[in-house]
Amino acid sequence: MYNTVKQLAAVIFIVAMFIFGSTASATESKYEIRADGLACPYCAYGIEKKFMAINGVKHVDIKLKQGKVLVTGEESLNFTEPQLKTLFNDAGFTYRTMKKLSIKEKN
Amino acid sequence: MLRDLKKTIVHLSITSTLLLTGTAFAHDPVFSPGPHVLFKEGFEVHAEFFQGEQGNEKESEQAVALKYGLSGDWVVGIEVPYQTNQNGSGTKQGVGDIALSTKYRFWRNDRLGVQETAAIIAKVKIDSGNKEVSSGTTDTLLGFTYGYESLKWYRWASIRYRFNQKRSFDNGNELQRGDRLFVDFVGGYRPQVNDYRAADTVWLLELNGEYSQRNALNSVNFNDSGGSQWFVSPGIMWTKRNFAIKTGVQIPVYSNLNGVQDNADYRVRLELEWHL
Repeated sequence: MYNTVKQLAAVIFIVAMFIFGSTASATESKYEIRADGLACPYCAYGIEKKFMAINGVKHVDIKLKQGKVLVTGEESLNFTEPQLKTLFNDAGFTYRTMKKLSIKEKN
Repeated sequence: MLRDLKKTIVHLSITSTLLLTGTAFAHDPVFSPGPHVLFKEGFEVHAEFFQGEQGNEKESEQAVALKYGLSGDWVVGIEVPYQTNQNGSGTKQGVGDIALSTKYRFWRNDRLGVQETAAIIAKVKIDSGNKEVSSGTTDTLLGFTYGYESLKWYRWASIRYRFNQKRSFDNGNELQRGDRLFVDFVGGYRPQVNDYRAADTVWLLELNGEYSQRNALNSVNFNDSGGSQWFVSPGIMWTKRNFAIKTGVQIPVYSNLNGVQDNADYRVRLELEWHL
């Protein structure tokens, strides 16, 4: 009986370490980008499409009223100003500024 | 004989009205072009349903189009229609003339929540369709369009001119359909600004003007051809992320057609679009 409880506790511990241990080390980075010309959601789809084609980008959200594009991705994700200027121009809009928000730890 | 020829001319004139006037892309009005283009390397799959009546002539068209963004300001497209034409003497149907189109946005002024743009457009309808429904000519359309889009209000204006090619018949006759001028003014209103991934609705009201020169057979003008018509066209544009539905109806409000001609009764258009 005692051995069974010990074995069960060991299994629970290992599973818990696997679940929490694996996510505790995963981090992501978030960018807040200001762009002009964002007047309709349908037209802004090109921005999402262009960002999602970049390796490491996980999610894109667009705040039309604020003229902001929020990009979430892997910790190693890094944008440059010329890269974003070209990306927004290819999507049909005008890039203004970029702000890298603090790296957020998942869970 | 003359009556048959006249019917043919009326038929060809109406057919060519349906074709070649639809140069709308993406977030443009329903019956007139706007300056919108696609993102670079983006595709647009476009399906269109059109129906119009003029006297005892009833025309309908279903078309599919594929468009591609060469850059963030330049788009090209190809369109294949299937047409059905009904009149007192029967029904004709078949694959219509293929049309190639392009639009170049040469000016863009972006501000917070506002995009103001201007573009030139060109479209060529190639003599390639079923003889039952084809105009039998290669016609060209050139135009200019301006648009102001904000989160709440929209306005567009455009002018287009269509050059119709002369058609030669087997019996030696030559038919010149009159060139056409199109002028459009459009206002749009978005009642509510939603999040990017939510559905979006814009209401439209268009004023569409058409002026046509007289048709000519062997260089002799037909009295009962040409003239001008104006339409008021309410419409709606509904989008969700990369999918759009647009629809509207053209209601004639003023006609000044030469001689004895039937005025247009109505025209309806429904468009479905996917951006990929």
